[in-house]
Amino acid sequence: MSAMQRMSSESASTGSLYTSCLPVRGDSASLPSQELFPAGLRVLVVDDDITCLKILEYMLQKCQYRVTTCSEALTALSLLREKKDGFDLVISDVHMPDMDGFKLLELVGLEMDLPVIMMSADGRTSAVMRGIKHGACYYLIKPVRIEELKNIWQHFFRKKWNGSKDLEHSGSFEDSDRQKRVADKAEYESSVNEGTDGSWKTQRKKRDFKDDEDDDEHENEDPSASKKPRVVWSVELHQQFVNAVNQLGIDKAVPKRILELMNVPGLTRENVASHLQKFRLYLKRISGMNQHQSGLPNSFCNPMEANSKVGSLIRLDFHSLAAAGQIPPQTLAALHAELLGQPSGNLLLPRIESPVILQASNQNSKILPAEDEVAFGQPLFKCQSGTSKRFSSSGIDAQDMPSSFSSWPSNQFGFMGSNNDLGGLNNTNNSLLMQMLQQPQQHQQEPFNLVTPDSHIAINVQPSCLIVPSQLPNSLSGGNCSIAINHNSQPSSNIQIGSNSVLTTSKSTLNPSDIAFDYSILSSQSTNAPLGMAQVSDGDFKNTGLLSNYSIPVSVPSSVSTSSVCTSGAAGWRLLNSNMNIASLNRLPGHLPNLSGSLVNHDMVRNNRFVGKGTWLPSRFSVHGIESATTNWNSMKTSVDDVDKVKQEFSMDFLDGSKVEKTKLPNFPSNDFMGVLSK
Amino acid sequence: MDVRLLQRQWVDHISALFFREGFLDAQFTQLQQLQDASTPDFVVEVVTLYFEDADRLLNNLWNTLSQPVVDFKKVDAQVHQLKGSSASIGAQRVKNTCVCFINCCEEGDLEACFGCLHRLKLEFTQWKSKLEALFRIEQQIVAAGGSLPMI
Repeated sequence: MSAMQRMSSESASTGSLYTSCLPVRGDSASLPSQELFPAGLRVLVVDDDITCLKILEYMLQKCQYRVTTCSEALTALSLLREKKDGFDLVISDVHMPDMDGFKLLELVGLEMDLPVIMMSADGRTSAVMRGIKHGACYYLIKPVRIEELKNIWQHFFRKKWNGSKDLEHSGSFEDSDRQKRVADKAEYESSVNEGTDGSWKTQRKKRDFKDDEDDDEHENEDPSASKKPRVVWSVELHQQFVNAVNQLGIDKAVPKRILELMNVPGLTRENVASHLQKFRLYLKRISGMNQHQSGLPNSFCNPMEANSKVGSLIRLDFHSLAAAGQIPPQTLAALHAELLGQPSGNLLLPRIESPVILQASNQNSKILPAEDEVAFGQPLFKCQSGTSKRFSSSGIDAQDMPSSFSSWPSNQFGFMGSNNDLGGLNNTNNSLLMQMLQQPQQHQQEPFNLVTPDSHIAINVQPSCLIVPSQLPNSLSGGNCSIAINHNSQPSSNIQIGSNSVLTTSKSTLNPSDIAFDYSILSSQSTNAPLGMAQVSDGDFKNTGLLSNYSIPVSVPSSVSTSSVCTSGAAGWRLLNSNMNIASLNRLPGHLPNLSGSLVNHDMVRNNRFVGKGTWLPSRFSVHGIESATTNWNSMKTSVDDVDKVKQEFSMDFLDGSKVEKTKLPNFPSNDFMGVLSK
Repeated sequence: MDVRLLQRQWVDHISALFFREGFLDAQFTQLQQLQDASTPDFVVEVVTLYFEDADRLLNNLWNTLSQPVVDFKKVDAQVHQLKGSSASIGAQRVKNTCVCFINCCEEGDLEACFGCLHRLKLEFTQWKSKLEALFRIEQQIVAAGGSLPMI
């Protein structure tokens, strides 16, 4: 401590050897020169304002830094390019005639990877924000006071510190001295605290800049790994890089491929990975981070497009329904108007899962037995005949629909949306429902060619498709949507479909998985028949959860489910204990641990890391519905039980809607399902 | 002249600049503190630089404002630069006028911008003469073997 103070006051030699000057607590005797830090920090100051430049030069010299001044940005840039590793820190003005300070910042950040401090008399928040977004590590507002300059070494140090954490595999350390500094940084920080009251921030923020974006090598913190030569990203090299990325597409650009495309000798995958990280950050800044709202994945870069797709999908569904005679014309008109009227609301979030669901539904419909009372091809659970007769009243409640639709977009992706309960759940359900409605016509038009004869099914991890009877007494909570669908066999009946797409897998031996759906249906006078849907595929299930960025494919071998549906009173049906027995057809991918989750809160699924890493094995889904006053769904939970072995593979692929098409849907025979409705 | 008298004059001058007239602020004090034995003329040097630069900036501003179609964005940038250097030197009143100038600029009020420009010029001449007077006294003090009083 005292040593540091003494150094700062005594050492008049501004040219002290910085490169070996990191203080080390406990080892200071052997490395005395390190106590000079931050004296000797090599700072380049760029400002066209010569007065400021002069003052800064003096001030920085007072701080014992080694200062180089430059009044032109272009000169500064060439200086930086000439003397690679000649500077530790750059301070740049924002407004400069020959080159915008932000441009310089960008170039320095990409090519030299040096910390850049922006500086301007313009202290408006927007200006500061702009600087930070462009990658400035700090923004000084003129007049600059020497107290601030005393502390700027921390930006250099933070960079190195972070670099050692994150990027050292990229070879950003050029010499052994640096390595030593890195190795000693922890001790250093604690030893320097007194001189610089800001240094604690270094520690606190050291991970802030961490970019967890793309690779798996962050754990590597061994400084000895940093002996690789530093790669300087010249404009040309960077251009090659950008070309490669463009060629691959930013979402698919992985370091390895980029490296192959660039074909630059000496460049390592790590170099590229590091640069790619920076480049992505840069792109993020440029795009204003719009696409990251709500934690949406990069893959959904084009929310507008995705939404429009969804929008059209919906319209399509309704039309098809109308064609099939399931929706009364006036209802259709109302729905249509509502949907069309809401497009702007939908734009924010792409709902990619819908295509998937749609596919699933299409596929399923083929499977449906003709004699089945359920109009939808969808319902995986067969309602018993007795129950079907209870269906009465038909039609879609147009009034409720709109609200539900309007709310979708804001929700998270389909199934994961259910933070809470009803609201989210219903919304998701709606989308699903709509998809399902479409089924009848699936044969005629398969809007998405998603269906492939394969045994794979695309399923959203979070099951649930819920249809609420049309005549809901009054106002539904925003999340609720009630849709009544005509039953084919019984024209005037409403069918409520709670569908769960549950991925259940069993071992090679058939393990029955139980799926219990409880839900209360808000129904008014009409009796509704809830349908529990489970999608089971003969072969593998692919679950695609669009929850986060990932598609979660689950391969489930399996198959049969029985469901019992309970309906309670006229008010609603409760579907209880639907058991899905899944007979595993063929191969059991792997051993699956039990997974129980509530659909409502599928935190696990949301957790990107979790999903990404692993195998998520649902063993049991149970869906509980709470009937509240015939109006709201309180909660819906799904847990999957008794799945012995489920292997789910989560793929990190970023999917956009079109890709979803690739998922395959299983056929499953309708007769495998047994539904029990009880009231 | 007596050194003590000179020193008193200097204090009068500088306190007027700081307090009564508000031309200077603490940043100027910081510059004075930066000045040490190794850089005895630091303040004068910087202030001279500043006035040269400021003259240029004011002319540029005049030109920009005189265009048939005024680019207020450019004006804004130029005023910010002037503000930056003025603030760096501790020229408080000039800096404050720059702030007004920027506001007028944001409003696109050309008249007010010209008004600010005139005020700037006036203030420049005023405090330039005062500073020059101050520096003259300083030189006399130093020449007489005295030292500048602590402010």
